Amino acid sequence: MALQLFSKKPVEPKVRPRPRPRLAEPDAFIPADRIELQADPLHQAMQLERYAYLIINRSEFKEHPDVDKLCLQACERIDDSFALVPEGFATIPRTLHDSPGAEEDTFETTPFLLGKHCVTNAQYQKFVEAGGYEQLELWPKELWPHLIDFKDLTECPGPRYWRHGRPSKKLMDHPVVGVCQFEAAAYARWAGFRLPTEAEWQMAATWRIRSVANTMRRYPWGDALDINRCNIWATGQGRTVPVDEYQPGAAPNGVLQLIGNVWEWTASDFEVTDHTGGPVVGDMHMATIRGGAYDTYFQMQATSVFRTGLVSLARAHNVGFRLAWNLRGN
Amino acid sequence: MARNSSVLSETKCLICGHDNEPDMLLCASCYAPMSIVQDARAQEREPKIVSVIGESNVGKTVYLGFLLDMLAHRAGAFEAIPKGAYSVDLQQNVIGHLARRSFPPKTPMEANQWYWAYYQVRREEADAPWVDLVMPDMAGESLAAEVSTPKTFRVIHSLLNKSKGLLLLVDAAAAANGSNQPDFFAMKMLSYVDSMFGGKHEEKIETPVSIVLCKADYCPECFDDPRSFVKANLNRVWNLCESRFANVEFFAASVVGSLGYATSLEDDTVAPVPLHTALRGVLEPFEWIIDQL
Repeated sequence: MALQLFSKKPVEPKVRPRPRPRLAEPDAFIPADRIELQADPLHQAMQLERYAYLIINRSEFKEHPDVDKLCLQACERIDDSFALVPEGFATIPRTLHDSPGAEEDTFETTPFLLGKHCVTNAQYQKFVEAGGYEQLELWPKELWPHLIDFKDLTECPGPRYWRHGRPSKKLMDHPVVGVCQFEAAAYARWAGFRLPTEAEWQMAATWRIRSVANTMRRYPWGDALDINRCNIWATGQGRTVPVDEYQPGAAPNGVLQLIGNVWEWTASDFEVTDHTGGPVVGDMHMATIRGGAYDTYFQMQATSVFRTGLVSLARAHNVGFRLAWNLRGN
Repeated sequence: MARNSSVLSETKCLICGHDNEPDMLLCASCYAPMSIVQDARAQEREPKIVSVIGESNVGKTVYLGFLLDMLAHRAGAFEAIPKGAYSVDLQQNVIGHLARRSFPPKTPMEANQWYWAYYQVRREEADAPWVDLVMPDMAGESLAAEVSTPKTFRVIHSLLNKSKGLLLLVDAAAAANGSNQPDFFAMKMLSYVDSMFGGKHEEKIETPVSIVLCKADYCPECFDDPRSFVKANLNRVWNLCESRFANVEFFAASVVGSLGYATSLEDDTVAPVPLHTALRGVLEPFEWIIDQL
């Protein structure tokens, strides 16, 4: 019998086909339509919702026949989309664990206007398409080397989770996320507004107005958590929702979603100490974010007074921002 | 699944098979709690073991604690019931610490000080079968010691040998920073499992393995495409999985939304501080494993 060592068929590995994971299919990304920008700079400013910019720079357009009409319209739009936050107080703890008797600072806040909603993808798209990422005057000089990193998933300038410089068509009225504090501030500057300070944000959420009662709210709607009034982890949405949802969770002046949906960048640095007085720092500079997000697990971390920080260059999936404006312009 | 109570002897350890004295609280051989045996006897079936493994400091305790707590909240497609109060200790410990913005202490190397969770889990569907699960919180150092010198930790050897599913946690942040350590440790771990389960090398190992990229908030690209991340940053593990494991899936997870560092003025130590939580991808690897069982 002939030796058949080398005439044997090679052994076929007994491999079962790999079962496909039963994971939810991600939503198909349908990009938003491109914006056709109007040629006339005044009308373009209105189209891009640069209302405060238009009002502040009115004199630049004084020869334009429509300037009065459009400035009036811009004022009306600000009236509609912003709410007055009266003067008041914000008491902010200096330590990480806000235990009774811990050191804290009390800030007086002057009246200001605060956006009723967070800035949406639709609004931010206008900034991107108008070339906001290329206008160096909107960005601090020390940040210019980082501008090249502010790309979307397809390497185009824009928020972290966009594609080809455009948001998902399905998320146009959701808050823009995937932007760092500098991108938020650049948008605000471009539109003529600014980011609220931490004290202003807290004042708006706690509604600690100057009054005899000297009360402050744990939530914008009152003192008890109600998951029907905000989008946090316990609510079960598991994702962002449009900025005009959860109307019952509005602050007394109509500002929505201060709690939940997305954390909000403020203009303030995050400075805090531990119980020994030692500083708590991040890998890089940190800014304060407030309000909690749709994935905030601990309810105590989604209140009007809970403060936390995030590296200001972080472009997180759950952090957005809203605008503020001084009553007499910025 | 065994339904005969006679196979579940009153004193025989479910993990290592050691025959214990009737009054023992922990197995004299592997230190697994004997209450698991008593609970299993009450169920008249032997539970399945799902092991959460990974190197020290990768976040096994935090992951497991949040996973159990989310199951208790019926967060995903599953309902879960803890069997015995000891099963709740781990999640209570983790949740308590994270809510106070601190990490739980490191899991001791000694098996008699580990937390064990025994849960009954099923899909929230009519007539879905219950699955009994035992999930211990193993210490990373003990795992490392067992992997480098097999049978040093008999309990780990027995646990992994009996595991019906594995969740292998890998430090994605370190891997993204160019460290080879996560790749090598995961490779050692899988190689250990391979040598334990694998007979002839013509056959791939069927035990389902979820590879979970932990601390993925540091490298969000993990969430975009965990497979590509593993292929690019943990290529040794990727290749080993391709060659030896028939049933592997890749996931990204994160628990801490932002990390600070506290420098104590009292003793000059630096401690990481979880400033807030933001859960992402915790349930998915587990649900996938359960669906494979």
